[in-house]
This record gives sequence, structure tokens and C-alpha cells, in this order.
Amino acid sequence: MSWHVDDALLERYAAGTLDDAWAFSLEAHLLACEECRARTVPRADLARVETVWADVQELVDAPRRTPVERALILLGVRDHMARLLAATPSLTPPWFAAVALCLAFAVVAAHGSDRGVAGFLAVAPLLPLAGVAAAYGPWLDPTYEIGLAAPMRTFSLLLLRSSAVLLTTTVLTGVAALALPNVDWRAAAWLTPALGLVLVSVALTTWISAEMAFGGVASCWIGGVIVAREAGDIYVAFDAPVQVAFATVAAVAAIVLTWRLHTFQTEREA
Amino acid sequence: MQTGSRTDGNLLDAIAGGDTAALRELYARHAPWLQLRLQRRCADRDAVDDALQDTFVAVWRKPARYDGTGEVAAWLWGIAIRRLIDVLRRRPRMLTLLEREEAEPSAEEQVLLGIEHGDLAGALNRLSPELRAVVQATVLDGLTTAEAAGLLGIPSGTVKTRMMRARAQLREEFA
Repeated sequence: MSWHVDDALLERYAAGTLDDAWAFSLEAHLLACEECRARTVPRADLARVETVWADVQELVDAPRRTPVERALILLGVRDHMARLLAATPSLTPPWFAAVALCLAFAVVAAHGSDRGVAGFLAVAPLLPLAGVAAAYGPWLDPTYEIGLAAPMRTFSLLLLRSSAVLLTTTVLTGVAALALPNVDWRAAAWLTPALGLVLVSVALTTWISAEMAFGGVASCWIGGVIVAREAGDIYVAFDAPVQVAFATVAAVAAIVLTWRLHTFQTEREA
Repeated sequence: MQTGSRTDGNLLDAIAGGDTAALRELYARHAPWLQLRLQRRCADRDAVDDALQDTFVAVWRKPARYDGTGEVAAWLWGIAIRRLIDVLRRRPRMLTLLEREEAEPSAEEQVLLGIEHGDLAGALNRLSPELRAVVQATVLDGLTTAEAAGLLGIPSGTVKTRMMRARAQLREEFA
């Protein structure tokens, strides 16, 4: 390098008093000359440089946000809430992919035969149930232990996660239902059973273990569908009286759940 | 030319491997001059600090964006000036352009400047501050018209007309 910036010039540059033509040359030179760059160091505001470094370090050390977390923040969810939600196993891309695949099979089957629609209806309520079950227990959740120690009350966290799972899975299933052949009332017939199954399971977990509650309720549903099929008409399981029954069950479960809240809280914390 | 044991390129490789010490070293080397250069474009210290912070967080997240050719310093400046534009876009614009003391160079200095730079320096300095700011943003910092508009807080059309005026004035000086 034939030319180096002299100290007086650097001093005036740092002070902001150097005229533009000189500053242009100096800046062009700095890009190419490590030696002169090093000589700018004592002229910078080093206290501020260090403060900024502390902030950089903090951001660099923080775990990176997952796509789900970023999407939640975009939707207006607060940072810490987004992290707790994004850690839910059934709110991750692999889970959504699994649900989508499941629904795709059910829809394809439904196009094959009329009984296929029944298959879709039998499977659809199980998906939100499985999602909430996964959001619930220690078996899939890597943050289960952390969740127990979280400042947020355990039940609030579970309820929040369950609601988020219920919402996303229901939306996915709803979209899939639109792809059914001859969309009619049956495209929405799974909705009330799904809500009923989830609420009953969650209410049951205040007495029995989550495995028992979700497993038991899922088995009952599958059993009921099989019985209806053996009885000749699987759609009996989705008839208006059954819908009303499920709606009632869901409402009762919600009330029981509220009533059991306190017990639930203390049992989980014990 | 590299003083430390590792070149800037080596540091970026290490950063790609998750080495925070390498990021620290790169920061220590480049943050001071980046701060000075950003400060010349923006008087708001908080904006400069935010831009500097965003720059190195961006480097940490995407060190592979550096394609391995050219000076790492030039690549860093490209990130820094764009981060500054983003920061300025996000905050209500106060007084961002540096208020410079427009000390008229003495006759002697004028002559000296003429000798040093041909007469380019004199010609550049005779441009009005508005025109010079546009020349700096587009020619020296390599910004697009839209980016320069973001940095200077003026419409893109104004950047274009000022650039045309600056070019016309410089051409006339050298004619």
C-alpha cells in the first residue's frame, strides 16, 4: 500500500470535521487497508462499542426462534408466550405434516367410496384429541420439566397449549373436509364430537392420568364408531341427536373442568 | 496484511461453526471503524448503535452470505449501511443527517486540495451538501436509488434529480 491515512486526518474524520472529498478517499482506503482500520480503533467511542457488543452477545446466546415461534410473534403473541407455545410437540411442523398426511389419506379414501366419508368422520375427531394429548404429557414434550417450573401456572399453560392445538388441528381438518366429495352437512359433522372428546379427556385428567384419560376416550370413540358400523349405518354416529348429545357432553365437561380447576392445579403441583 | 493469527475469512468460517470467540474478534476489529463511518451518515447515536448491533447479529446468523471474494470489510459495510437504513425506517426521523460545520476551506487549502486530488476534491466540495450526500450514498456506499432515499429521508425521485444535478455540475467543472 503506497499511502496511509495520517493521524491528523483520522482525528478530523472521527470528529466529523473532515470535508467530504477527503472523507471519501479515507473511507475507500479503510475498506482495503487493515492497518489503517486498526488505527481507527482508539478514535471510536469505545464505551458505546462495548455496550453494543453486550447486546449482540445477548442475542447471539439466546436460542434461535423456530418458524412457528416467529409466526406466532407476527400474529401478535408475546415473546415468552410464543416460546412456550412453539415448544408444544403438537405445534411443530412435523406434527402438522403428520396431521396433513393423515387427512390426505382420509380424503383420498372418501373419494373412493361412500364408506370412505365415514372413515374420514371417524378419524377427524381423533386428530385434535391426539394433538392435545401430545401437548399434555411428559411423553413427548422435551420442556415438560421446565413447564413444571415455569412461572405461569401449570394449568394455564396446558389450557393455552391445548387451545392452540385444538385451533390449528381443527382448521387443518376443516380445510381437508372441504376436499370431501359432495360437501354437505357431513363435512362439519366431526366438529362437535371432536370438541366433546377433547373436553371430556381434559376434564378426566383431573381425576385419572393423562394416558388413561386420552387413551380411554379415544378407545370409546373408536368402539362407538365400530358399533354404529356393525349396526348397519355408520352415520348414526353423526346424526342430529348424537350431535346434540356431544354438544351437551362438551358443555358439561367444560363446567366440570372449571369446577375441578383447583384440584387439578394442586395435584399437578404436588 | 492480517495482524491477528486468523484472517477475517478464517473468522467467518469459525463463526459459521458457532464460534462466539471468533465473532468477538471480528467485532473488535471492525466495529470501531464501522461506528465512525455510520456516525458520519447519521447523527443519531442510538440509530448507529442499533445498526451496528443488527449488523453483527446478521453476521452471526448468516456468515455464509459472504461469498469468499473481496474484502470482508466491504461486505460488512454493505450490511451495516443497509441495517442503518432499516433502523431509520423503523423510527420517527428526527435529525439524522449529520449537521456538519461547513468550514470554508481557505484559499491555500483550496490549492492544496487541487494538487492532491486533481481538482476532483475541490469540485466535490463545491457541490451543495444535499448533492454531496446523494453522491456519497450512491457512488461511495454503492446504494440503490431506493436505499439512498431511505438513508437520506427523501423521495427516490429527489435522489435521481439531485444525482443528475451533481453530475451536471461536476461535468461543467471539468469542462
